[in-house]
Amino acid sequence: MTRGTVSYIGQRLVLIAVTTVLVSSIVFLLLHQIPGSAFLNETRTSPESLAANLRHYGLDKPLPQQYVNWFTGVLHGDLGEALKNRGVYITPLLVREASVSATVGFYALLVTIGLGLILGIIAALRQNTWVDYIASSASVVGYSIPSFVLAIFGLLIAGHYFYIWTGGTFYYVPGWGKLEQIPVPALALGLPYASYVARLTRASMLETIRTDYVRTAWAKGLKARVVVLRHALRNALIPVVTILGPLITGIITGSVVIENIFGIPGLGKEFITSILARDYNIVIGVFTFYAALVGLANLAVDVIYPVLDPRIRY
Amino acid sequence: MAIAALPQPDLAVGAYEMPQQVSLLEDAWNRIRRNRLALVGAGIILLLLCTAAVAALWTPYPVWLQAVGPTYQPPSLAHPLGLDQAGRDILSRIMGGASITVQVGVGSAIIVSLIGIPLGLMAGFYRGWVDTVISFFINIWYGIPDLLVALILVFVLSDALHLIPRGVFVIVLAFSLTRWMDVARLVRGQALALREREFVEAARMSGARDLGILARHILPNALGPIIVQATFAIPAAVLFEAFLSFLGLGLPSPMPSWGAMANDGYHGLDFAPHIALAPTIALSVTLMAFNWLGDGLRDAFDPRMRH
Repeated sequence: MTRGTVSYIGQRLVLIAVTTVLVSSIVFLLLHQIPGSAFLNETRTSPESLAANLRHYGLDKPLPQQYVNWFTGVLHGDLGEALKNRGVYITPLLVREASVSATVGFYALLVTIGLGLILGIIAALRQNTWVDYIASSASVVGYSIPSFVLAIFGLLIAGHYFYIWTGGTFYYVPGWGKLEQIPVPALALGLPYASYVARLTRASMLETIRTDYVRTAWAKGLKARVVVLRHALRNALIPVVTILGPLITGIITGSVVIENIFGIPGLGKEFITSILARDYNIVIGVFTFYAALVGLANLAVDVIYPVLDPRIRY
Repeated sequence: MAIAALPQPDLAVGAYEMPQQVSLLEDAWNRIRRNRLALVGAGIILLLLCTAAVAALWTPYPVWLQAVGPTYQPPSLAHPLGLDQAGRDILSRIMGGASITVQVGVGSAIIVSLIGIPLGLMAGFYRGWVDTVISFFINIWYGIPDLLVALILVFVLSDALHLIPRGVFVIVLAFSLTRWMDVARLVRGQALALREREFVEAARMSGARDLGILARHILPNALGPIIVQATFAIPAAVLFEAFLSFLGLGLPSPMPSWGAMANDGYHGLDFAPHIALAPTIALSVTLMAFNWLGDGLRDAFDPRMRH
């Protein structure tokens, strides 16, 4: 960690904070065009209780005042109070849900990168054999199948056809928190991107294993493991790392629908539930979380770069 | 770019011909003809277009007509894809869904290009503060989950503010407003590189105005990558529509969106899987076809970019 790296990370963190605040401000202003509409759908709302509700949430104040209040809250890490369930504070709620989402997201990323790299490397090393053909065809088909389609098929197979083995873990039994509930959602979320990573890895591996320094490594009599992993893969990884940023954004977007399908109590489920319930405070809160998360993920990717490729310095 | 695909001089005969002139599109066509996957994709897309055209005029049953038979009926001769939970004919609804898919995909590709191309050209050609402003938007947008912004836009525009009724248009609009940056960034890069070339200088020397240079010299030379980018916008838009409709935030209920149909089927998955299978397969095959064609076009227009 040089001084340049530290100041680079610092600058990026500031930029991420600015972006997050900017984007959630836009969402805030968009959603506050009709004050109090979160309460209007309920049957038999007396004008008095509506006024009381508006006063409680500060929605009777002029919009600039509301915005300042919300902004000060965000700076203090306070995203406000849920509109539908009074007394539920959003920050602790979202932190809890984010940990659930992070678990699923982590395993999905593991599937994406792990499976993608392994398939890509094997396909490149065994180019033009049946292994290559199977891996390549699978990835050519796989990256076009949306994750919610995989989720539906996964649910059908694991929750219904293999009911005897799985006990319908994620379909018939409500609740979340068991380890055996993770594989199917994680696979559904990770497989489309795994195919993409596999394609990319295969292409860049094919390029690097033909370079002179790899031939030299073979000629020196190094072990295959060392040549492939330490010489070839390290350079082949660079184009793969470039797509990690968009890939993480994709996994976050995909998790919204996956969590709704499997009933996983994470940020994505909260996002959709609150949109449908018109609980704008939570929607803005979740969005702020997402914007920060995507920014941080992109930063993490950029920090990995110089580790792989010492020519890149900040 | 054209040089790579020129016919090789036939040395056996000893003839030394001048290489034949080929246009960008001819050149691309010559390359894509040899790409089997891209041709299959193009074939599937053609089928999709025909289905959409037929569905606009005729479907076996009206897409909204309920109780044409018993609910949840599995595929039979009268209803090749079966009936859904409201007793609607799934084949008719798949056809109607094809029509919606085409509208969403083509509409988005057009609007994304209409916004992205002029802004990208301006940023790359004029540079200076124009470039700073446009690049600022592009960079900000790369750091946020754009589809979720689009989701909120659809919700705000049609459900909260009631500005635009929920339908294909609002989805296309929201998607395009959050996706034009892709095209703009690409066009900006092309314009930046092309504005320094001799032919642009020559055009300026002979008194061409900025608009003329942009339209007649820079845009045609950037056309290949633009077509590729616009093609990739189509599956992204189709997926976005399906994603929204699956969550119940997209097209309203009687409209036969594949995403909404997948959601219908999801609720009866354990006893009537055919309801979910038809739309999910249709959607996946469509996305696959567009991605294959897009890959083929990318390889054809820019052989250096091959994966």
